[in-house]
Amino acid sequence: MDLLAFFGRLADSDWSVALHESQYAYSIIESIHVWTLAVFFGSILTVDLRLLGLTMRKVPVTEVAGRLLPWTIAGFVVMVITGSLLFSAIPLRSYQNIFFRTKMILLVLAGLNVWFFHSGIYKRVQEWDFRAIPPKTARIAGGISLVLWACIVVSGRMIAYNWFDCDRQPQSAIINFLTSCYP
Amino acid sequence: MQTKLAMAVGILGMAMSGWASPASAHHAFAAEFDANKPVTFKGTITKMEWVNPHTWLHVDVKGTDGAVQNWAIEAGTPNVLFRRGFKKESLLPGTEIAIDGYQSKDGSHRANGRDLTFADGRKLFLGSSGTGAPYELTPGAK
Repeated sequence: MDLLAFFGRLADSDWSVALHESQYAYSIIESIHVWTLAVFFGSILTVDLRLLGLTMRKVPVTEVAGRLLPWTIAGFVVMVITGSLLFSAIPLRSYQNIFFRTKMILLVLAGLNVWFFHSGIYKRVQEWDFRAIPPKTARIAGGISLVLWACIVVSGRMIAYNWFDCDRQPQSAIINFLTSCYP
Repeated sequence: MQTKLAMAVGILGMAMSGWASPASAHHAFAAEFDANKPVTFKGTITKMEWVNPHTWLHVDVKGTDGAVQNWAIEAGTPNVLFRRGFKKESLLPGTEIAIDGYQSKDGSHRANGRDLTFADGRKLFLGSSGTGAPYELTPGAK
């Protein structure tokens, strides 16, 4: 079964209907998603700025990361849970939303950046832990992280806009291709 | 160094505020609808989408030439409508209503709903709150 049909069925499920028709649940989940974003983005932003050598230059990198990354991880877990719930409330429309798709692609890229950073330059962090301005590779990773997460926040916000939704035809062929719309 | 930091924060701040300023649960009125295109018509409800973050009311409208057009009317959240005393069941398909609203910028048959009037004269304010729609910006414009 393809994803389109699968999310179509999910959209018709009792769970999905109850959630998107709910009086409180949807807004509460959405609020938690946004509150947690402050924790998640705020903490990773600070770590990224340290990697860029822009803040807390006298504090060892491991100290900054060690204190803040647990908050980042906890925040991320809550974001994924609440995000999945929000998706399950409006699965088909979200799946075909160009901003949602952009966000998912950017999330994969951000994940790869985390992986490259932690399996690469961060393994040798003892060599540059006390440097005010970390080595170039670490700065690049921090910069990419900053840009990617900022773009993820923006694309997440943009999901609300229905400019390119399937029920708004005519759209250009490229948009319909990118959103799996078959007008 | 301080200048650099200030610049970085400034650029990020500008980017965020420019892009994401309508930071509410739903989109801003002006992103989709045109305050200069008020629409008024009578019609029959064909479908009520009782959906967060916006409900959508689908209405069949008979034009002067007799042709039927289907319009989609955006309204507030289920919670907002519930607080005004309405449920999904208040707006069943087949119900005759009159709608006042504002058409979408792209000229499609979509509108941001302002008032809904039932055949017996009861009225329901459809608007969301905090979206910058004309009826919020100018009190008394209703």
